[in-house]
Amino acid sequence: MNTKAQPMTSNDSLPPAPRAPSILSAYRSEMAIAIACIALLVGVGIFVPAALSAGNFANILQASAPLVIMSLGVLVVIITGGIDLSVGSIFSLTGMVTALAMANGFGDVSASLAGLGVGLVFGSINGALITLVGLAPFVVTLITYAVAASLAFIVTNGRSLGVDSPDYWLFNSGQIIPGLPNFVLFCLLFTVALEFVLRKVTAGRWFYSVGSSPMAAYLLGIPVKRTRFAAYVISGTMASFAGLLTVSYILNAEATAGASLMLQAIAAVVIGGASLSGGSGSAVGAVLGALMITIIQNGVNLIGINSFWQGSVTGLAILVAVLIDRFSHR
Amino acid sequence: MKKLMKALAIAAAVLVAQGAHAEDKKFTVAYIAPSLDIDYWQWVAHGVQQKAKDLGMNYVEYTSENSPAKQMDNARVAVTRGVNAVVIGPVSSTSTPPLLAYLAQQKVPVAFAGIGPQPGQTNYTSSVTANNYETGLAQGKYTCELAKERGGKEVGMLSLPQDRENAQKYLKGAKEAFQANGCELVQMLETKGLTINEAVTQANDLLTAHPNVKAIYGMYDQAGSGAAKALATRGLTGKVGVTVADGSPTTIQLLKDGAIQGIFFQEAVGQGIDATEQVYKALKGEKTTQNMALVMPLVKAADISSDAAKKVIARVFPQ
Repeated sequence: MNTKAQPMTSNDSLPPAPRAPSILSAYRSEMAIAIACIALLVGVGIFVPAALSAGNFANILQASAPLVIMSLGVLVVIITGGIDLSVGSIFSLTGMVTALAMANGFGDVSASLAGLGVGLVFGSINGALITLVGLAPFVVTLITYAVAASLAFIVTNGRSLGVDSPDYWLFNSGQIIPGLPNFVLFCLLFTVALEFVLRKVTAGRWFYSVGSSPMAAYLLGIPVKRTRFAAYVISGTMASFAGLLTVSYILNAEATAGASLMLQAIAAVVIGGASLSGGSGSAVGAVLGALMITIIQNGVNLIGINSFWQGSVTGLAILVAVLIDRFSHR
Repeated sequence: MKKLMKALAIAAAVLVAQGAHAEDKKFTVAYIAPSLDIDYWQWVAHGVQQKAKDLGMNYVEYTSENSPAKQMDNARVAVTRGVNAVVIGPVSSTSTPPLLAYLAQQKVPVAFAGIGPQPGQTNYTSSVTANNYETGLAQGKYTCELAKERGGKEVGMLSLPQDRENAQKYLKGAKEAFQANGCELVQMLETKGLTINEAVTQANDLLTAHPNVKAIYGMYDQAGSGAAKALATRGLTGKVGVTVADGSPTTIQLLKDGAIQGIFFQEAVGQGIDATEQVYKALKGEKTTQNMALVMPLVKAADISSDAAKKVIARVFPQ
C-alpha cells in the first residue's frame, strides 16, 4: 500500500470552508472568554483598584507573554489531535543553552539561535517519532520531556546561569515599534500570523483536517504525516522562543524555569476553546486562555489569596470555559 | 612437621595481611540529598565531600528526588554498599522516623544537614540546620529598618511555601520583629515553583496591590533576584529595600550593584562540613553535638569585600 499522501493542488478537494461568517459568530467562544477575562479583572478591581491600572495591565502582559507564545505552539499540536508534553522542558533547556552559549563567548544572536535550535531539534524528534515510527504522541513527548528536563540540568550541572550581555534585555523589553514593547509585538505577530494561517491558508486548514479525521484527510490527499510533523516542529520552536523571551526578561536561566508552563499552556488552549480530541481551536482563543490564566494568578496575588488556590481557580476556569463552549455551540 | 610449620606460617602471613588491610580501611560517608537538582543541596554535597576528603573518608552521594520512598531505598542501598555513616538532607522532617529506625538498627551514625528530623526523634548523631527563627527575627528587624530609612513602615514578603517547617519559623520570627519594630507586613506571597520569573511576577503584584511598600523580605534566593528585577523595571531600585535569605553568586552580584541591601547567608557548604565532622567523631567514639542551629550571618553591600564576608561566603557555596 502506498502510504505517501498526494499533496493537494487546490482548495477544491477540501471540505467547503464556511462562507464568510461574521466576526461575532466566528469568534463566539473567544468573545465569551474575553468577557470572562474582563469580568475577572473588574472583579479583582473591586477588591484592589490598582488591578485596573495601566501598570498592572503591563504586568499581566509581561507575565503572560511566554505562556501566550508557548500556547500558540501547543495549540497547533492539539488541533491535529496530538499533545506535546515536552514544551516546558524545551523552554528550560533553551534558556540554559542560550545562557551557556553566551557564557562561552557566543554573541546574542548566535546564542539565541542555538537556543532556538533546541526547540527545532526536539520538535523534529517528536515529529519524527510520532509520524515515522508511529509512536503515540503522549509517550513520545513524555520521553522528550524527561530528556530535555534532564539535559537542562546536565548542561550546567544544575546551576542557574546569569546573562551578562548588556543588550540582551532589548530582545524582550526593547521597542522595535516605539511605544510597543517587543514582547507584546511578538505576541501580536505570532497570534495574527497563526490565526491567518489556520483560517486562510490551505496548509493551515490541513491541521484541522488531520485533527478531525486523519483517515479522511489522507483520502483527500492531505499529507497527514508532514502536517503532524510540522505541528510538533512549530510547537517546539515556539516553546524555545518563549524560553528566549524569559531569559531576556530576567537575564537568568534556570533549569526548572518551564516546569509549570506545560500544563498551563495546555490549559490555555483548552480554555481557548480547542478540543483535546483535535480538529478545533483558534490562536485568538489560546491567547485569551493564556491571558485568563495570568489574570487569575495576578488576581489571586493582588487580593492576597493563598497562591496554592491558583490551581483550583484555574481548574474552575477551565470547567467554566468548557461549559460555555459546550452551550454556545448548542 | 615441616608441612605444619609451613601451613602455620602461611596462615600467620594471611592474618597479618588482613590486619594491615583493616588498618588501611577508610570510612565511607554517604550523602543522601532530597534532590540534587537544587543548587543548595549541591553545595551541601560539596561540603560533605570536601570534609570527607580532609578526614580521609570515601564519599558517595544519592538523590531522593523528593520522594520519601526513594530516600528509604537510598539508605538501604548505602548500607548494602557498606557505608559507615550517613549525612542526609531529608525530603521532609516527617519522613525521618522510619529512616532513623532503620539506620539505628544498622548501627550507622546519621547527621542531618539543612533540614532536621521530626521533633521528638532522638536516635541520630547530629542535626546541623540554620536557625530559621532567629534569622527570621534578624531579617525582619533589618527589613523594617530599611523600610523606615525609606520613609515608610509597610513591608512585603516573598515566602517559601508555608507548609515547610523552616518557612513557618522564618515567618514567626519576621512577624515578631515587624511588630516589635513598628512595621506592618501588608502582604505575603508564597512561591510554588521557586523560580526567579515567578518571584518577579509576585513582586510586581505585591507592589501593585501595595504601592507604599518600602521594603521586601525575600525568604529564598530567587525571591531576592525577582524582587530586584521587579524594582529595576519600575525604576525603584534602592527606593524599596530588599533583603534575602540563602545567598548565591547571583544575589551577591545584586548586593554589589545596590539592588539588594542585605543577604542572610545560609551556610550550605558549612552545614555539609559540620555534619560530616559529627558523624566522623561518632565513628571514632568521640563526643558529638546533637543539635547545631547555625545563625545565618548578615552581609550588607558595604561589607561584601571584607575578609569576614569572604569567610562567610566560603561556607555558603563552592568557590
